[in-house]
Amino acid sequence: MYKQILHTPEGVRDIYNGECRRKNKVQDVLHSVLQSYGYDDIQTPTFEFFDVFSREIGTVPSKELYKFFDREGHTLALRPDITPSIARAVAKYFTEEDMPVRLCYVANTFINHSDFQGRLKENTQLGAEMIGDGSVEADAEMIALVAESLLKIGLTEFQVGIGHVDFFKSLLRESRLTEDLELELREFISNKNIYGVRELLEPLPIAVGLKEAFAAVPKLFGSVDILEKADACAVTEDAKRALERLKRIYELLACYGYEKYITFDLGVVSKYKYYTGIIFQAYTYGTGDAVAKGGRYDTLMDHFGKPAPATGFAFVVDRLLSALARHKLLPDTKVPKALIVYRASQAEKAVEKAMELRRQGIAAEMTPDRIGRDYAAYAKKNDISEIIYIEGQDLV
Amino acid sequence: MRYLTFALGKGRLAKKTMELFEQIGITCEEMKDPATRKLIFVNEALKLKFFLAKGPDVPTYVEYGAADIGIVGKDTILEEGRRMYEVLDLGYGKCRMCVCGPESARELLKHQELIRVATKYPHIAKDYFYNQKHQTVEIIKLNGSIELAPIVGLSEVIVDIVETGSTLKENGLQVLEEVCPLSARMVVNQVSMKMENERIGRIISDLKSIL
Repeated sequence: MYKQILHTPEGVRDIYNGECRRKNKVQDVLHSVLQSYGYDDIQTPTFEFFDVFSREIGTVPSKELYKFFDREGHTLALRPDITPSIARAVAKYFTEEDMPVRLCYVANTFINHSDFQGRLKENTQLGAEMIGDGSVEADAEMIALVAESLLKIGLTEFQVGIGHVDFFKSLLRESRLTEDLELELREFISNKNIYGVRELLEPLPIAVGLKEAFAAVPKLFGSVDILEKADACAVTEDAKRALERLKRIYELLACYGYEKYITFDLGVVSKYKYYTGIIFQAYTYGTGDAVAKGGRYDTLMDHFGKPAPATGFAFVVDRLLSALARHKLLPDTKVPKALIVYRASQAEKAVEKAMELRRQGIAAEMTPDRIGRDYAAYAKKNDISEIIYIEGQDLV
Repeated sequence: MRYLTFALGKGRLAKKTMELFEQIGITCEEMKDPATRKLIFVNEALKLKFFLAKGPDVPTYVEYGAADIGIVGKDTILEEGRRMYEVLDLGYGKCRMCVCGPESARELLKHQELIRVATKYPHIAKDYFYNQKHQTVEIIKLNGSIELAPIVGLSEVIVDIVETGSTLKENGLQVLEEVCPLSARMVVNQVSMKMENERIGRIISDLKSIL
């Protein structure tokens, strides 16, 4: 029975000691960057009405949500993602606001993946959202935030890949494919499966230029030169505008000084319905998935009755930590710390000493002396730099 | 320079792949020793690592970035449904995924009858019957000798890989419907593709030029 009770369920885990300290530290650093850009904190509930994360809005299929019922029979869901909650909160509390609203958060998200995939079901996300600003400068600010945050925690080998959903979407519109074919094409493009694209389009009555453009899309990723190459494929007005916007974002990021971390990927096909403009992901070595994801979602607010342009991103904190560990870049969380060992009769003196140390900014731990304890070993294990004994009259 | 890691599906596929790689100048002498018990093979000069894995595990290694590049059959890619880039059809290991059974079972595929389907590939079978044929079926997962199932009455039909069809014929079964063609594919981790674009891109274009 005891043994059973000690386990955590598949997909969730305890984080403690050094790892927990490092996680908090990383979060503090990231948070301080967001704050320096004027983002204000927000906390939303861990669970909400299911409708907030429903199919039209959400990023996670319904079957992967943790769902349950309240006493009245409403369906509730643990949040799989924070953005819809923030959109709801902004629609509710900032209706009168005509200035952009900047918010940031750190919160755990829950996705019920299938078992045995080595993926966590509870993940900490730390992110920012800007609502009410549709400008290209806002897009650039989001990406600058990602780059600056990653640099602040010491990561230097990373890339932020930026795409624009309109580029592919407008080509799709132009092609007038049936929904089934469109889905298939999306799948091929998002898998960068070029021969699959060619095979699929070969027999269809679509303009040759458009076919060539589709076949080229999976290859359109890399450094800024790719935008020039993409000009040839931008056969629609929307696609041209998307490219113009990306070029402008690059110019702005050069102004921030982060352009060398930027790459472009015009083959990103979001499965997230809510993205409407740019979409970006940050990658680094040592982790097989993105450490940050974001983009523009100008229609999400409509669902909550307050149409407004919006953009945002989130770091997947746990994944970022494991990447930092592989890069041997985990932050140092050591603080000066002392252990006070005292005889029971000297408790007052021990408290006085501890308070004095704490006033000096030294962490002080108190423990009553007991025969046979190895304090030196304990101190070593817990990064304690000093052991102070308080015994009888001969006070140190 | 970092190591690029390849995960190869064990067996014939791996051998074929290494032959192909040799033609574009990627070699691994260590792997040729038949007596070796090593798990990881390294080419220090080119900074490449290779390991062999069971087919269905290759997409898992690639999805999580434990391997940058994987070589695996299309059947495994479809069955595992992992997020990764499928960049190249290597053209060998050609075969077909088929619905097979005795001739008498052909009738059962024409109506919306609930039948039993035995297979090693439950996802592929389910996707085919539910999303393409719109027929509700009961899927029975087996791990080998799938042909047995209709013979001993465990299922009406099977979904399995057919290469020459001789095993089927010897057991009085035949191909009733084709689900999809299969062959060996090269898959790439989504992050590796971006971070190591140049090196991986070169391997892909070199391979393309000889295929």
